[in-house]
Amino acid sequence: MTARTTRTRAAFRQIALHVVLAIAGILVLLPFLVMLRTALTPDDSIFRGTLGLHGLTVRHFLDAWNRAPWAHYYRNGLLAVAGIYIGQILTCLPAGYALARLRFRGSGTATWVILACLAMPTQIIALPVFLMISRVGWLDTLPALIVPFVTSAFGIFVFRQFILTIPQSLFDAARLDGVGPFGVVWRVVLPNVRPALAAFGVLSVMGHWNDLFWPSVVLRTQRAATVPYGIVDFASGEGGTDYGTQMAAAAIAAIPLVIALCFVQRQFVQGLAPSATAD
Amino acid sequence: MIGAVTAERSKQDRRLLRIPGTDGVIGWILCAPAAILLGLFMIVPLVAVSVLAFFGWDPLTQTDHAVGFANFSRILTSPDFRSAVLRTLEYTVLTVPVTLLLGLVIAVAVNNVRHGAMVWRTVFFLPVASTLAATSVAWRFMFYPHTGIIDQTIGRVLPVQGWLQSTDLAIVAVSIVGIWQALGTTIVIFLAGLSGVPRHLHDAAALDGATAWSRFWHVTWPALGPATVLALVIDTRDSLRVFDQVQVMTEGGPLGSTTTLSYLLWQRGIHYNDLGGGAVIDLVILLVVFAFIGIQLRTAGRRLNDGATR
Repeated sequence: MTARTTRTRAAFRQIALHVVLAIAGILVLLPFLVMLRTALTPDDSIFRGTLGLHGLTVRHFLDAWNRAPWAHYYRNGLLAVAGIYIGQILTCLPAGYALARLRFRGSGTATWVILACLAMPTQIIALPVFLMISRVGWLDTLPALIVPFVTSAFGIFVFRQFILTIPQSLFDAARLDGVGPFGVVWRVVLPNVRPALAAFGVLSVMGHWNDLFWPSVVLRTQRAATVPYGIVDFASGEGGTDYGTQMAAAAIAAIPLVIALCFVQRQFVQGLAPSATAD
Repeated sequence: MIGAVTAERSKQDRRLLRIPGTDGVIGWILCAPAAILLGLFMIVPLVAVSVLAFFGWDPLTQTDHAVGFANFSRILTSPDFRSAVLRTLEYTVLTVPVTLLLGLVIAVAVNNVRHGAMVWRTVFFLPVASTLAATSVAWRFMFYPHTGIIDQTIGRVLPVQGWLQSTDLAIVAVSIVGIWQALGTTIVIFLAGLSGVPRHLHDAAALDGATAWSRFWHVTWPALGPATVLALVIDTRDSLRVFDQVQVMTEGGPLGSTTTLSYLLWQRGIHYNDLGGGAVIDLVILLVVFAFIGIQLRTAGRRLNDGATR
């Protein structure tokens, strides 16, 4: 086999890989394409089946935007994910540091308890926490969406694993400089776990922003409604059979986070696999 | 391994540096906020569920009172519950293997392209980032009988129409959305695993004239052990808590054919305010989670260690 045929074969292989990925990619993107196409097409030609984009309209978007309090949903969603994420950093980072670097009675057991909590779906705790929240009168409020999640077993676990990879010499140097344990968390751990903070942040923000289950448990009205709660309300009630407007509403709900994700994707993959060399 | 080595070394270091008797108190102070919150919102609820299962609401006296095993006999014998168990199983069997297989194939392909890997990765991750409640509205529209894109394409070739109105096909439709959504996370996990496969082993095998398939089977696949286990755990856990697309596309119907355990839990416990009955369903899900973890530690756990010691 000459070098030339090897190179040709390699090139063919690359093309074949891209073709396979393109087929899978189009199928994956199909719902987004259908969503946008339907939202941008005038009502009378939605079911005409052509993929042509002549006579685009933004009327559906204006309708969808005016028919539901989207700014209110976004605001609630932002407050909820920000509250949850800040709380998670404040509680998980010190705990992760203690479990990774300090030896104290019960630290081994604590790590196992956290691993067990990791496997629990939210459904398990839903009913008792719902009762607790209704007793303190928080039903239908933002705290009901935030407080149950201000600590996270997954967060503690991710930070613990990441802190284990920080060179011990950094901690020793800080100790020799007379930095106390809280100073260590603030001045040694925090600057060194940025990739993990970013990766965990993406997962936490994404998970809670998109969550429909928990709002369905603790919300009753639009008062503290987040985006997923809002879109379900829209699609089951007002939307009716007005598909263009429904798809526009779905796009209004889904697109902002998708755009945000494109900016943070690289950090996300790097932070979750500290040993992995991302391309 | 690395963790163990670091821990061992840090123990030695600390013997030189440590201030006696302070680690314990400080350790607990640092853990306290997380421990209190985890206790309040995880451990206490886990115990409370088992208590709730023995209580019922009496509409006459307007109070809670102990009802013994009444909730258990009421729920466990109901056709709703038995159907939900089967539907959950069906959903898991339909989604998990397909997600793992497709995720692996796509991850290997993305890992092998020389240009544009980042673009492909973003494409397959989009469904994870986009709000499932919102994209389910788009899926529902695609599955719309006769005029929807699914019936217009697949429906013309195969004798399947009106998926969401069919007691057999609705669960398949919901599963397709589940696979579509879970794929991105699975690909990321496999990609992280693939980047840990030693390059020199691949090159050595290639020099020995091993085919692409045998290189995959003997080099890549064994090294993917931990990634496969992690993907399996996450995909199965997610299949136990499917909710969004069911709520949007079918609301559990038609005739309860897409009511899985997690949806039934919400329907009973929250929607119909039957906390005792919901708690029984909760305990069943908990049992499944524990059984599942046990099975995984016995079977897949070995593969986890195989891969890790390599």
